[in-house]
Amino acid sequence: MAETAKTLLDPTVLARLATLKLRVRAVAEGVLSGLHRSPHHGQSVEFAEHKEYTPGDDVRHIDWKAYGKFDKYYVKRFEQETNLRAWLAVDASGSMGYRGSEDRLTKLEYASALAGTLAYLLVRQQDAAGLAVFAGGVTRAVAPRAEPSHVNAILETLQGLTAAGETRLASAIDFLVERAKRRSGVFVFSDLLDKEERVLKLLAEFRKRKHEVTLFHVLDPAELTFPFDDPTLFLSLEDDRAVEARGRDVRKGYLELVGRWLEETRRFAAEADLEYVLARTDAPLDEVLVPFLARRERSAA
Amino acid sequence: MNLSFASPALLWGLAAVLIPVLVHLFFRRRPKPVPFPAIDFILRARQETKRRLRLRKILLFLARTSLLAAVALAIARPRLLAPEAQAAPGPAGPAAVAIVLDASASMGYRQGAGTLFDRARADAIEVLTGLGADEPATVVLCGGPLVPQADPPSFDKAELRRRLAEAELTHGHADLTSCTGAAVRALSESAAGQALRRKLYVATDLTAVSWRLDTPAPVVATPAGPVRPEVTLLDAARGETLENAWLSNVAADPDPSVGPRGYRITATVNGQRREPLKDATLTLRVGQGKEERVAVKSFIEIPRAGSTKKTLAHDFAAGGPAVVSLALPGDAYPDDDVLFLSLTVPREVKALLVDGAPSPVRQRDPAFYVEAALTGAASPVRPTVVDLDGLSRARLADYDVVFLLNVRSLGEKAGELVDFVERGGGLFLAMGDEVDPERYEAELRRILPAPLHVVKTASERDAARFSEVDWEHPALSVFKGAAREGLESVRTFRYMLLRPERKDSGSRVLVRYDDGSPALVEARRGQGRVMLFTSTVDREWSDWTIRTSFLPAMQRIAAFLAGGLEERRDWPTPVFAPRIVPAPEGVEVLALLGPDGRERKLDEAAGRSGPVSVTPDVPGLWQVRVRRDSGKEGLDPTLAFAVWPDPRESDMRRLEPSELTAWFGGESHARVAGDRPTGESREIPLWSWLLVAAIAAFLAEGLLA
Repeated sequence: MAETAKTLLDPTVLARLATLKLRVRAVAEGVLSGLHRSPHHGQSVEFAEHKEYTPGDDVRHIDWKAYGKFDKYYVKRFEQETNLRAWLAVDASGSMGYRGSEDRLTKLEYASALAGTLAYLLVRQQDAAGLAVFAGGVTRAVAPRAEPSHVNAILETLQGLTAAGETRLASAIDFLVERAKRRSGVFVFSDLLDKEERVLKLLAEFRKRKHEVTLFHVLDPAELTFPFDDPTLFLSLEDDRAVEARGRDVRKGYLELVGRWLEETRRFAAEADLEYVLARTDAPLDEVLVPFLARRERSAA
Repeated sequence: MNLSFASPALLWGLAAVLIPVLVHLFFRRRPKPVPFPAIDFILRARQETKRRLRLRKILLFLARTSLLAAVALAIARPRLLAPEAQAAPGPAGPAAVAIVLDASASMGYRQGAGTLFDRARADAIEVLTGLGADEPATVVLCGGPLVPQADPPSFDKAELRRRLAEAELTHGHADLTSCTGAAVRALSESAAGQALRRKLYVATDLTAVSWRLDTPAPVVATPAGPVRPEVTLLDAARGETLENAWLSNVAADPDPSVGPRGYRITATVNGQRREPLKDATLTLRVGQGKEERVAVKSFIEIPRAGSTKKTLAHDFAAGGPAVVSLALPGDAYPDDDVLFLSLTVPREVKALLVDGAPSPVRQRDPAFYVEAALTGAASPVRPTVVDLDGLSRARLADYDVVFLLNVRSLGEKAGELVDFVERGGGLFLAMGDEVDPERYEAELRRILPAPLHVVKTASERDAARFSEVDWEHPALSVFKGAAREGLESVRTFRYMLLRPERKDSGSRVLVRYDDGSPALVEARRGQGRVMLFTSTVDREWSDWTIRTSFLPAMQRIAAFLAGGLEERRDWPTPVFAPRIVPAPEGVEVLALLGPDGRERKLDEAAGRSGPVSVTPDVPGLWQVRVRRDSGKEGLDPTLAFAVWPDPRESDMRRLEPSELTAWFGGESHARVAGDRPTGESREIPLWSWLLVAAIAAFLAEGLLA
């Protein structure tokens, strides 16, 4: 069973699943079987304080033991453990429409599968999950809610996405700053190919507001290995730019630049206390999610 | 230091360096368009590596170009000549100089873009240009039949330069021993050069046949005694071996097995080559001018050294004057690749056979055997048989020769026959029972070779045989060796005795019986010829008709009597050998048209009427322009004649330079200025270095690509 779930999580297999719902379900089940501890562990209603009964309070919450001691009606107040509001910010710019091989998911599909799975898992543990899709600006948004039926709304939104427009992460951050008043979890799914260089600084600012920021850096393996040899006309996916080069001539310089960029991004994320996850679209989704979730659980414990 | 190439023609290969440029311009691969998200990184990477890439591209282009250029140059085998190979030996100071320029036919050998003669002339002019103002010089042109002449050295260099510039290659032989002798004599006789050193420059191809090294080398006569001149040999061939393939002889012999006008044409082909040449084409052409056509194309293997023969067969369509030429594939020395031959193909002979005793039994019919002998695919004779009645109706002028076979009397036709013979017709008389000596004496006395006497009969056992035979006679010359047996074995039982004739009668006994009586007598009567056979041409008196000699003898006799065997057989003239051009009656020779297309007009003094002596200076077919009595001018094909190149010039074997310098007095007096120096090798081959460079360029290309 575990083996079947593992196979299902392979991106080449997922690519064959027609709908995002199926993908999310497959991934979520895989992820759940991959976690050693139940995600419901510790998910109980715990006592927080007593409040003197006033008319209108639920009589079921009256603490009869306290009445015996103090002869007054006190109502128990509880604090739910899982009351996280999570925003899933998905980059749907043109560059996210890339896939280096026909049998792989596009970066957007991969990011959507990741985001959908997280939304499913969050709602399953009664956290509220919201969605913000951005390209040139925020194009679609779903407010966070914790109802199980809400997952469907998120998945349907993700399902209908097409990659187009420029990457502008700043617009998503602005959007979230306005809406995430209380402490929230923010999950950003993007390739970070943004012309604006200050996006990571904005994310760092976001973190300073006590939000938990996780950055899923979604990249295709072709972007990391540059498997081109012959003379090629490279066309931009976001604008009209084109550049002619022989792959083997520029590969070395390209890989150096990409390596430096990844290193800088990783270092900046660590300094700004952002959670950074590099998500290669050829990696099984559970390999991306399980270590991340396990890390979160450990830090929560 | 001079750079030269062993195979300069292969330098065309250098054009291959254009290949990388053409590939870059016209065959560049179109880049494949690929959408890619991280285009900014590519742009920056390209920007950073731009200069390095451009440098690499240039280096790659240079490596490819160098690779092709080095290989092309290496194939042309370049070499450097060390300067000491060209430095003049001997003490310094002004000298009187004689320059001998070899203008023999072999100097027409093509090497590279020009001939050896062009190069030798340039060498001679260079020597002349390098002389100081105080150095007198003379020039000797050596080639052709003329005795070499050398003027005393003069200071008029411009005139000498003009002579060299205007010098022309001849098609004749050069005796360089005589020419250098004449040049040295001019140096000896020079008053201006008495106090100067004597230098002799010989610009030649060093072919061995031009030198006679068994005679003493020329020396300069000075008051102090003979002095050896300082000799510099300017090798026009630059040390290269001169390969040649040539036709040394072409012979045409009639061959009846080929056809009525068939010939066997035999070519003798010689080779002087490094390797034998297989499947060389040997082409036989017939005709001249616009009517020339290829008759036979054959293949031949030209040996590395020595000669080989090849025989081709051709049947001429018509009799009369004909020209054939045999040609080898053109090589560096073209003079001897084609040989012409002019010949006269026998015309068809029309013979009238008058059967004096027709018989229904064919073996007893004299005309049966003669007609059978004269008829045949290979026979040039077309016989017509008539009896005496037919003779009276026949027009003798329509025939070339008349055979009277056992004819009793000609009657009224006798006068016409006599007239026919005296005007140039041929007559053959065979005896028999019908022949009446008295009637013959009465009717044909003027043309009979000898008066008939009586018939002699021999016994069966003592049959007469042919004994004294004039084998050299054109009609009988075909019988050679064992073939003579066919004539000598003829047995004759009866034959006509002839009366003795006066010595000045013009008769000639060609065959006698063993008792001394004439068997075959020939006589010239007027312009015609008569032949008398004293026996029969059936089985009655003799068995000649069933002997193997009968058929060829009858055909040859018919041709001889018709004048076909003594027609002109042209022998080719060697170039520069005098030749008599006959002028037939009523024909005036105006000019000769050489193979080079130039017309040589005969001057009035030479006399146009009558035979003309000419000296052809170009090998090939010469034609003769004539004016007939009728006033009509044109080329006379019967007078065309072939001129063959000098066979000595075809022999391209070269002297060892050391042999020639030794003849001139050793290295202290003579040297060779050319690509192959006399002493130790000073030639630096470059092709191996170029191949190393090509390999280096190949490796560099592999690293950069």
